[in-house]
Amino acid sequence: MLAFHRTAIFEAFMSPGAPTPTKVLAARLAFFFGLWLMIAGWTAKDLPVGLVTAGGAVWISLRLLPPGHAQPRLAPLAALVLRFLRGSIFAGFDVARRALSPRLDLNPGFVACPLTLPSGESRNAFCLYQSLQPGTLPTGAEGGTLQVHALDRSQPVAANLAADEALFKKATGYE
Amino acid sequence: MNEPLLAAAGLIVLTVAVGLVRILRGPDDVDRLMAVQLLGTGGIAALLLTAYATGVPGVDDVALGLALLAAFATMAFVNLLETDDDETELGETEP
Amino acid sequence: MIPLVDLFSLCAIGAGVFFFFAGTVGLLRFPDSLTRLHALAKADNLGLGLVALGLLPRADSALAAFKLIVIWALVLLSGASTAQLIGRALRRGRK
Repeated sequence: MLAFHRTAIFEAFMSPGAPTPTKVLAARLAFFFGLWLMIAGWTAKDLPVGLVTAGGAVWISLRLLPPGHAQPRLAPLAALVLRFLRGSIFAGFDVARRALSPRLDLNPGFVACPLTLPSGESRNAFCLYQSLQPGTLPTGAEGGTLQVHALDRSQPVAANLAADEALFKKATGYE
Repeated sequence: MNEPLLAAAGLIVLTVAVGLVRILRGPDDVDRLMAVQLLGTGGIAALLLTAYATGVPGVDDVALGLALLAAFATMAFVNLLETDDDETELGETEP
Repeated sequence: MIPLVDLFSLCAIGAGVFFFFAGTVGLLRFPDSLTRLHALAKADNLGLGLVALGLLPRADSALAAFKLIVIWALVLLSGASTAQLIGRALRRGRK
């Protein structure tokens, strides 16, 4: 059993291109085992219990969230994460400034933004990302249009969203 | 270096408690829910700070539990809200 | 003379407290539920994130540090998704 996991993990890091089932399995197992270690701590005699637990978690995760068509690419993904962190810091400052300024600096309203991502997990992930960016909050999509609530409608909300979406697609491999 | 951590925890709890004024003011239940959510996030931050300041084992696990459960109250509430809407649309109930 | 690590912790946690304060002010001052939702979703996530960042160098093991990050990620995910759910419910209710 252990030997199998070792080769699976090895493949996960060495083989390029689209994620194979083995790769998905290994990545999820590593993730859940990491979580288990975090809660239970590192004790040698408990490790088998952790492995079994992680295996069960992988099985449940495969039932609930079957592997998608995502093909993460490392460099754009790093760019996306950096942009996300910078964006959420800027978003916090933006809200703080508007809240603390003596005269509330708000021009709120809905902006309809065209969205090319198909509905499903990729769109949900993108909306999650977008809801922590400065001044915008997706409030659900109808067809190909995302209704975004903006704190300040004079900002280029739709243009920023389109740029974010392009980078998101490049990073995750969703088309 | 533990006193500043405890002071920060106290400040956060105090700030978030002031936010609970929203529960009194409303006007909608959604606003009240948001104040409670703010209390949850602030509580997690204060618990983490307390855990590191006092070194009592297990306090950070309480924070982890709170973080895990944070989403459920809101989801249940939104579900309730949306069923209410559907019913009014169908004309089955009068608000 | 304060060690550099402590200085980093103090700065990050102080900034975190500030964002909790700003989030509360936003929750109390912003004019409607949707704008208050922005304050809740963004200021608090940054507040908790900075508190966790300030505590990171004080964690005694890599696993403890990982726990801080997981707690923050959980709150981030639940905060961002519940904000969207509330936003959608509010938009539908308004029509």
